[in-house]
Amino acid sequence: MSLRALWVISHQSGENATVRFSRRFSTVEYRAKCLAGSTYVEVPEEGTVLQLLLTELGLSDPDKFYVPLRDDCLHRPRLPALELHVDGPGKGILWPVLTISHGPLILACLCLVDCPLEPRPPLANLFSVSQGLTLLRGLQTFLLGSGSKADTEGLSCRLAMLPSIMLQVCPLGTPLDVPTVATAATPSVPIPAGNQKQPAWKTGFHKGRAVVNVAVKETVRSMQYGQRSRQDLWDVYGTVTCKCEVEGVLPNVTVTLTLPPNGSPLQDILVHPCVTSLDSSILTASSVDNCDGSAFSGPYKFPFSPPLEPFMLCSYTSQVPVPPILGSYQLKEEENHLRVSATLKLHESVKNSFEFCEAHVPFFNRDQMGAVEMKVSSGQLDVSKEKNLLVWSLGPKFPKSLEVTMEGRITFSGPTPGPTDPLCTELTAYIKLHFKVPDITLSGCCVDQHSVQVYSSAKPRISTSGTVVQ
Amino acid sequence: MAVNWAERVSAFSCRPSHFLSGTNAEAFLAELLRELRDDRASDSVKVLMLFPLCEHPSLLCPSDSIGEETALELMSVFLQCPSKSLQLRCHLLLAITSVIVCTSCVSSHTPVSVDFIDLLLQLSQNNSDVFCESSPQSIRSIACDSLRELEACCPGLLFQHIELLGGLRQQETTLLHQAYAGLYVLVLRNAVYQLTQETEAGAEHLKALLGANASITWEADRFSCLANKRDLSVLSCLIRGPMGFVPTLKTGPDCKELRSVLSSLLEESYLLTPLCQAAMLHRLTEVVAMVPGVHPAIFRAQILRLLGTSQVCLLHTTLLMKYVFTDSLFSAEDEAFMLKRLVVLAQHPLLSTSEKLFYMDCMLHFPENRPISCNDGDEALPVLLTPQLASVLLPTVLNESFTMLARFNMMSLVYLDEVEGGEEGDGKGLAYLNEHLNSLLSIVRSCASRDVVVAFFRAAFLYLMYFCHIRGYSCSLIEKLCELYLHHTKLAPHLITLINHIQNMFPESDWAEDLLKALQRAITQSLLDKLTLQDLHFHLKMLARIAQEAKIPQGSTLKFLADIITSTFSTLCTSDWCLGNSILEVCHRLLLHPSLETMLVPLADVLQHLACCYGDTDIQDHACLYYALLTTLSREKLGGVFTRGKTEEGQQVKTRTLSTLVAESEGLTKMLTVQQSHEAVFSLNKVRTEIQETKADAESHVHSTLGEANATLEVYRAQFKDPDFASEIILNYQMDHINGHNPYFEQLFSIHLHCSLTDDNFEKIDDIIIPYLFRDRPSPVVKLRMKPRRPCPTTLQVTALFTTQDGLSWHTVLPDIHVDFQYIFIPLPSPQGWGRDSKCHLFEQLWNEFCLESGDSASSLFCCQVKVSLVNIVNKHLSSYLISDMSQEEEYKVLFFFPPQFHVLLRIRSDEENRVHFKIATDNWQLLHNISSFLQSITSAKEDTTE
Repeated sequence: MSLRALWVISHQSGENATVRFSRRFSTVEYRAKCLAGSTYVEVPEEGTVLQLLLTELGLSDPDKFYVPLRDDCLHRPRLPALELHVDGPGKGILWPVLTISHGPLILACLCLVDCPLEPRPPLANLFSVSQGLTLLRGLQTFLLGSGSKADTEGLSCRLAMLPSIMLQVCPLGTPLDVPTVATAATPSVPIPAGNQKQPAWKTGFHKGRAVVNVAVKETVRSMQYGQRSRQDLWDVYGTVTCKCEVEGVLPNVTVTLTLPPNGSPLQDILVHPCVTSLDSSILTASSVDNCDGSAFSGPYKFPFSPPLEPFMLCSYTSQVPVPPILGSYQLKEEENHLRVSATLKLHESVKNSFEFCEAHVPFFNRDQMGAVEMKVSSGQLDVSKEKNLLVWSLGPKFPKSLEVTMEGRITFSGPTPGPTDPLCTELTAYIKLHFKVPDITLSGCCVDQHSVQVYSSAKPRISTSGTVVQ
Repeated sequence: MAVNWAERVSAFSCRPSHFLSGTNAEAFLAELLRELRDDRASDSVKVLMLFPLCEHPSLLCPSDSIGEETALELMSVFLQCPSKSLQLRCHLLLAITSVIVCTSCVSSHTPVSVDFIDLLLQLSQNNSDVFCESSPQSIRSIACDSLRELEACCPGLLFQHIELLGGLRQQETTLLHQAYAGLYVLVLRNAVYQLTQETEAGAEHLKALLGANASITWEADRFSCLANKRDLSVLSCLIRGPMGFVPTLKTGPDCKELRSVLSSLLEESYLLTPLCQAAMLHRLTEVVAMVPGVHPAIFRAQILRLLGTSQVCLLHTTLLMKYVFTDSLFSAEDEAFMLKRLVVLAQHPLLSTSEKLFYMDCMLHFPENRPISCNDGDEALPVLLTPQLASVLLPTVLNESFTMLARFNMMSLVYLDEVEGGEEGDGKGLAYLNEHLNSLLSIVRSCASRDVVVAFFRAAFLYLMYFCHIRGYSCSLIEKLCELYLHHTKLAPHLITLINHIQNMFPESDWAEDLLKALQRAITQSLLDKLTLQDLHFHLKMLARIAQEAKIPQGSTLKFLADIITSTFSTLCTSDWCLGNSILEVCHRLLLHPSLETMLVPLADVLQHLACCYGDTDIQDHACLYYALLTTLSREKLGGVFTRGKTEEGQQVKTRTLSTLVAESEGLTKMLTVQQSHEAVFSLNKVRTEIQETKADAESHVHSTLGEANATLEVYRAQFKDPDFASEIILNYQMDHINGHNPYFEQLFSIHLHCSLTDDNFEKIDDIIIPYLFRDRPSPVVKLRMKPRRPCPTTLQVTALFTTQDGLSWHTVLPDIHVDFQYIFIPLPSPQGWGRDSKCHLFEQLWNEFCLESGDSASSLFCCQVKVSLVNIVNKHLSSYLISDMSQEEEYKVLFFFPPQFHVLLRIRSDEENRVHFKIATDNWQLLHNISSFLQSITSAKEDTTE
C-alpha cells in the first residue's frame, strides 16, 4: 500500500517535457527489493523515466510517424497503470506506473507490488493502486485547481510548496491524506476539551454562529442528431455542495433531498466520506438498471459531520423525459459559400430566465471565414477573432414563441486555413450550447431549507439553491 | 552558499550516478554531514541537504558501518536541534529512518537502531510538544510514521510495544490518533501473522498478545524481527483471492479481546482520512482472514457506507474484502449491486479518466462469490455482466484513445461470449464493434494524424484477436485496409506489424495472407505515373514483406519491378540509392522464394537491368552479385547463402563475408560502424635493447683507414649531403595486452597504429600495421621510426584501429608514449670501415671546433661525486657511444650524435677521491641543459651503487 517513487512532469503538448518534482521513497524501495527478489527492477534516473513515460503515452519523437516501441499495435498502454520497459544494465519492466495526464501536467507514481510479480497480478488486486490514484488525483487538484485553466505562475508557486506538502501527506511513501489548500494553512483555534476524538480530516474548529450553505447544481449533457436512425442522447447529473460552519468537534448535520410527487428517482448516488450512515434504499436506483416504477423516490437523508472546507456532499444522476432545449442545424454547400440554418427551441417546462445562454458554431477543416451574412431572430451574433467560430449570445430570455432561429450564408475566403478536426469533415459539424438557469433543477430535486437539521447549540442560518447548466 | 546547495542537491537527485562520478559518495556524505552541523546554515538549506539521504541512502552509505555512523551523526544533529526547527527535525527523523532501514541496521539490531527506536517511542509519547499539538506535521506524527515504516520494513520489530501502542491509540483525542491507529494496526497484523506461524499458538496467545491477563510470558526476543528468518512472505499482502492460501490461527470461537479491539478500531475508522481508513480496513481484513474465530460480519456495519462512497480507495478496499470473504460477507444481491456500481462508475461524468479505467479493470477481475475459473491473471468477465448491462460502455469515436481501446477490449470480450456461447443473440453487438472500427478507419482516411492511426491499428488488432474467425467482417476489413493503404501509403509499417502479429497469433488463419494478397494486387495494379517516390518506397517495403509469403505467387510483383525500372518514371530517380536498395531488398526476398524456378528469367532480367543501367554503382554491384548467384548457384545453395547471412548475432557466422548481401539489415550497419572501446586494450612498452653496433664490428676495421687522418672531418661531413643520412632514430616497442582486460579482446587482427605528435620537433610519423595480437602468443615488436627536426624529448599520442574475431572494427586510445632524452641520440654515424683512430681523430677535430664557441657551439663542465667506479658507469651507460678505448682509463671520450646533425662530446676523467669531471663540448648549446640532467641521472642511479 505504498509508493516507490513519484514524479510531476510538465510539458507543452508533448514537447519541452521536464520533471518538475520527483521523490523516491527509499524504505519502500527496500521493501520492493525484498519482495521482488530476482525479479526486482530498480527505478531508473529521472531522465530515463521521463523518456519512457513519454514513449508509453505516445508523446515521444513527435516528428516521426512510426516508432516501433511507441506505436506497435500489439502493445496497448493501459492507463492508469503503464509499464516502463527499462533498458540497459537494470533491464526489466517497471509496473505499475500510475499515470494521470491533465493539461500541462503528467503525474506519475510507481506502486509497491506486495505479492509475487510472476505471473503478473491483476491491477485490481493491488491495494496500492487505489491509494496511488487517490494521491495523484489529490495532487492534480492541488496543482491545477478543479478547472483545467493553465495558470503557470500559480502552478510554479504550488510546485514549490510540494516538498513541505509531501512531508504532511506522504512522508515515507505511504499516502496519509490528499493535499488541500487547507493543509497548507492550518487554522490554530484551540481544541475543545472532551473525550471526542478529532476527525483527522478536520484540521481546525469553527467558532461563532452556525451557517450551513447547500447548493444543488444539475448539469445536462445532450447530443441531438436530428436523424431517425440515430437516437438523440441526453443525461442529467447533479451535485450537492455544502459549506458548513458549525461548532463542535464532531457536529451532526442532516441534509434531505426531496423530489416532486412524480419525479423520477435519483440514481447512482455517490456520497462524501463524511456521511456517517446511509439507508440501503438510497443506493438502489441505478442508471444501468431497468427503471422500476416502484423504486424509492425520497426523501433522501444524508446525515454527516461536516469538514471545515466546502465539499461535495453527494452526486446523483437523473432521467428526465426531454432535453431542456431542442435544436436543429443544417448546412448546405452552395457554389462558393455555405448556407447555414439553425433553430433552437426551449421546452415549456423550463424556466425562461437564463444567467447566460450562448451557442457556439465552429467551422473546421476550412479556410477562415470571409463574408458572413447571417440573420438571427433574437440575440446577437459575433465572429470570433480567429474567424473560425460564430458566437450567438441569446441573452437572458427566449422570445415568447420559445424558439429562435439563425440563418444566412458564409464564404470561407480568409487568407489562412482554420483549425482541423478529424471528425468534422465536409458537412459534418455541430453547434454547442452553453447555458445556466438559476433557481431550478431539471429533476425537480431540491433541498428544503427547513429539512436541514443541525444538532448544535446555536441556531443556524441555512441557505439553499439550485442551478441547471449545460 | 544556499544557491550552491540547491543546485548540487538537484543535480544529485536528477542523476546520482553522474553526480557521484564527479565526486565520490564518501566525500559528498562527509560534506553533507559537516554542513548539517554548521550553525550558520539555515534550516531550509539543511532540509534540502537531507533529501539525498532520504532518497538514496544506500548510494551514500554503501556499507552497513557507514550507515551506522551516518545514523549516529544525524541523531546527534537531531538532539542538538532547537525544538522550534520543526521542519528540520521532521526531515531528520525521515533521513535517519531511511538510512537505518536501507543499510540493514534495523534488521541486524545495531545499537544505533535500538537507540533510534527508543527515541521515536519517546517522541511519540511526548505530550509537551504543545507548540504544534494540533498540527498534522507535528514531530509526534512523524515519529509514529517512522515507527510504522520501520515495522513495515522489519515486521515484528515493535511487537514488544504492542500494548503501549494500543493504549496510546485509545487515549489520544487529537489528530494524532490517526497515526497511532495506523501504527497499531500494522503491529497487530504482523504479530497475528507470527502467531499463525507457530504450531502451538492458540486463543491464549492471542489474548496475551492483546494484553489481557497475560498468562503466557513472552520470551523477549521471540518476535525480534520476522524478516530475519528470511521469511519474506510476511511482507506480502495476504489477500490473494478465494484460492490464495492464508495462514490461519486456530483459536476457537472465543476471541472476545480481538473482537473488541477490532470493533473499536472499526467504529473510529470514520474519523480517519479516506486514505488511512482504506489502509486500516485493508489491514484488518488481513487480520480477520487469519483468525477464523472472528466472523467477517464484524465489517457489516461499515459496508453500506463504503458501497456508497465516491472515494476510489474506499470502494477498492470493499472489493478486496469481497475477494477474501466472498459470500460470508457479501450476499448475491450485494454482488449484483457492486457490479452495477462498477459499470456506473466506469462511465461516470464526475470521475477522472484514470479512475474510470481503473474501475473497468476491476470489472475484468471482479471478485465473484462463486468464480467459475480461478485463472488469477486472466481477464474474465463476471457472469452477471450481461451485454445489455455493459452496453453503456460501448466505445465511441469521441472517447480519447486510452478509454476507447479499453472499452473496445471489454466489449469484445462481452460479445465474444455471445458469439461463442452459440446464443447468436441478434449479432448487433459485433456489428456495432465492426461499425465502430469502420468509423475509425474513415477518420484515419480523412486525417491520418499519428495518434489517430495508432489508435485505429490497436483497435483493429484487438478486433482481429477476438473475431478473426468471423469471415464476413474480417474479409470486408481486408478490402477497407487495402483501400486505406493506397490512400495513405505511409501506413505501410503499421500494416506490416499488424500482419506480423496476427500471423504469429493465429498461424492457422489465412487472414494475414489474404490481406497480403489483396495488397499485392492493389500495388501491382496501381498506375506508375501517378506514384510519388515516397509511395514507391512504401510499396517496395510492402512487396518485400509479401515476397516472404511462400504461398503467394510473385509473378505480378516481378512485373511491377520490371515496370518501375524500365518506365519513364524511373529515369527520374535511377540514381537514388534508397530506391535501388528497396528494389534489391525485394529481389533478395524473391531469391529465397520457393517458386524461384518459375520466375528465374524475369528476375534475372530485372537484376541484369539493374546491374547495367542503374545510376548508382553500389546498387549495380549488388545487382551484379545477385545476378551471378542466381545464375550460378543451385536453389539449395542460394538459400544456404542467404539464410546464413540472417542468422542471429552471437553465433559466430562469418558475417564479414556475407555482410554485403544482407541489404539494410541491422547487422550491416553494425559491421560498418567503428566501435569505440572505452578503456585501453593494449599498450606499447619500450624494449630495453642495446644499440646494435658492437665493439667487435668497430675494431675489425682498426687498421684499414689509417693515413687519411686529415680528411676525416670532410669525409664525415660529406655523408650528410644525403638528406636521409642518419636522420632517423628507431625505437623498439613491444605491444602487450593490458592486464585483466576483457576476454573479448584476446585475439585482435589488422592493428593499425597511428601516432600523433604533440609538438613540431619531429616529422610526421607513418602509420604502422601489425597483422595480429594474441594474448597467448609472443608479443610483436613495433619499430617506431622518428625523424627529429630538433633534438628534444617528446610525447606521442597513439590510437589504434583493429578488428576483433567477430569482424567488428574497434577504435581505441593507447597510453601515451614518452620519448625521453636518452632515446633521441645515437652512436657516431661514421662511414663504413672507419676504425677507432679515425673516430678519435674526428672527435678531436670536432672538439676543437666546438670549443671555439662560435655560432651555437658551446662547452661546459659537469662534476660530481660518485660512489662507484667510473668504469662501471661508462660500461653500463656509455659504452655504445665510447670513441676511445675502454682500457684507456685516464680519459674516456664519448660522442652522442643527435639526428639530424648535432653532437655532444664528452671527456670524462676521475680523480682519486672519486670525483668525476665531464668536460662537454657541443654544436647546439640548447642540449646542455638536458645533457646535465642525463649525466646526473646516470651518475646517481641506484643500480650503480648496488653493483
